[in-house]
Amino acid sequence: MAGKVGTRGCKKIRGAQIRDLLDSKHNVLFDCDGVIWNGETVVAGAPEVVTLLKQQGKRVFFVTNNCTRPRENYVQKFSRLGFTDVVEEEIFSSAYCSAAYLRDVAKVQGKVFVIGCHGVQKELQDAGVPIVEDVSDGPDVSIYNFPLEPDVKAVLVGYDERFTFMKLAKACCYLKNSDCLFLATDPDPWHPLRGGRITPGSGSLTAALETASSRKATVIGKPSRFMFECIASQFDLDPARSLMIGDRLETDILFGANCGLDTMLTLTGVSTMEEAQQYRDSDASEKKDFVPDYVVETIGDFLQALED
Amino acid sequence: MAASNAKCTRLTGSLVKQLLDSVDSVLFDCDGVIWRGDQAIPGAPDVINLLKKNGKRVFFVTNNSTKTRKMYADKLATLGFNASEEEVFGTAYCSAMYLKSVAKIQGKVYLVGSNAMKQEIENVGIQTTGVGPDPISGVQIDWANVSLDPEVKAVVVGFDQHFSYMKLNRALQYLCNPSCLFVGTNTDTRLPLEGEKAVPGTGCLVKAVETAAQRPAQVVGKPSNFMFDCVAKQFGLDPARALMVGDRLDTDIMLGTNCGLKTLLTLTGVSTVADAEDHLKSGCPNRAGMVPDYYIDTIAELLPALQG
Repeated sequence: MAGKVGTRGCKKIRGAQIRDLLDSKHNVLFDCDGVIWNGETVVAGAPEVVTLLKQQGKRVFFVTNNCTRPRENYVQKFSRLGFTDVVEEEIFSSAYCSAAYLRDVAKVQGKVFVIGCHGVQKELQDAGVPIVEDVSDGPDVSIYNFPLEPDVKAVLVGYDERFTFMKLAKACCYLKNSDCLFLATDPDPWHPLRGGRITPGSGSLTAALETASSRKATVIGKPSRFMFECIASQFDLDPARSLMIGDRLETDILFGANCGLDTMLTLTGVSTMEEAQQYRDSDASEKKDFVPDYVVETIGDFLQALED
Repeated sequence: MAASNAKCTRLTGSLVKQLLDSVDSVLFDCDGVIWRGDQAIPGAPDVINLLKKNGKRVFFVTNNSTKTRKMYADKLATLGFNASEEEVFGTAYCSAMYLKSVAKIQGKVYLVGSNAMKQEIENVGIQTTGVGPDPISGVQIDWANVSLDPEVKAVVVGFDQHFSYMKLNRALQYLCNPSCLFVGTNTDTRLPLEGEKAVPGTGCLVKAVETAAQRPAQVVGKPSNFMFDCVAKQFGLDPARALMVGDRLDTDIMLGTNCGLKTLLTLTGVSTVADAEDHLKSGCPNRAGMVPDYYIDTIAELLPALQG
């Protein structure tokens, strides 16, 4: 139930406790990386868990900050990793939600300058949001002298492996106009890859642009509420009957707290039990929202609860 | 001499000679103080040349990392300033001094920066790697597995128009080793340029790397004391008999205050008297250091006292 008091949280649960929790929830929101898969390796039991939840009449959604692929590619990845019944409509990536925000909330009239990989650009195109074409600059163009498109009403920054100084300079110019929106897909400073490796995330590129423009980006991805509002605008969700499951305290768990959801940390990803306990034991009141209500070793533990 | 409660006074009349007589050394910022772009501020060369004729020592202290001392000496000469290489302290040179004499690194530097930085660092006998374009190739997991030079002991970030995701990534991979040093030349958010142009500054690049690596850079440039220490060590300066002249409250004036110099704000650059008065009125201890002792419209106003 939402509305918790005291030093609650970090309750490690299994078996019947998981069953009781799931019985009280109609909607289950899963983060992806570190929860249902790690890179190209599925978390054991995850596909079966999703199927069983659906068989029991629950609704399942996937809420990911990872904007490196469009939703249709995510469907392929789900299928590749053994999930047999996940459809596009259940997948909410920060790229998809950024496009939805621009089109439905900001209702942007004009073009969007995108610093983002193919996954980001495709979602905007699919949503019918006009973007500035990513063309190579001519020989006369330099960081001190470059053409600007007229009618740019928003700048969106996300993960971009083709990020350059020139893109930063152009975006900074567009953002001098206070009517130009400034959005970021997600705040993640780095992304985890296989074998404990990491690569720079959207958050690091956003930080560069915030510094250059002296403006703060509106961040679409977790822990901001918007992705939940995006789901809720399409499906009728009661926060009190919804559970958020993630592996990153600073994004997934905080997101759940911000949206009034019960939260569960799974230990197959980034954050550890010790980190969760440190937040729980901290004196700072703002840290309380990083504390998960429940903790499981892996969502594979749901199988025992669901199969009874 | 400024009384501790008489701050932000217009330097005029007899105060000019009084101030100049009370100091033996004058440190000038460059951009917005003695020149703008490639044009000298009218009267500035005469000011510097007369100060020297009057027996004062003159130094140039700039956060710009794109020129070597030799390049600065050439620019100064071209614009009519009577100055030598040894009197110039840019962040390319000072970063090299920092690496050599403070950090004392034994090994190489992964450098995100200009050829000027490469030259200054290699001049003190430290090898660098990484300067120039560095485009992306391969897929995500390749970037985490990019080959690292085992001799690299520090990552140094300065102004780099070739900044790219791949450079950010390489810097991050090196910085994943906690014993790898992290140095930034300066945190200025914009390059000082004429007119409406606002090119992102080194501060944006440093911020991107700090965010990805989740740790702060050791910053060499103003307002860090190191720039002054560099000058003082080589020339035996007494701060109480030195004057810092600059156009930015948050770098030049802050440095002056922190190092115990007298400070003079000139209005031919970034900061305004209103900015200074805001800091003064705020009563905030963190902002007190940004209030100059004196201000002047242009350093040319020092001429009458020097010529008299």
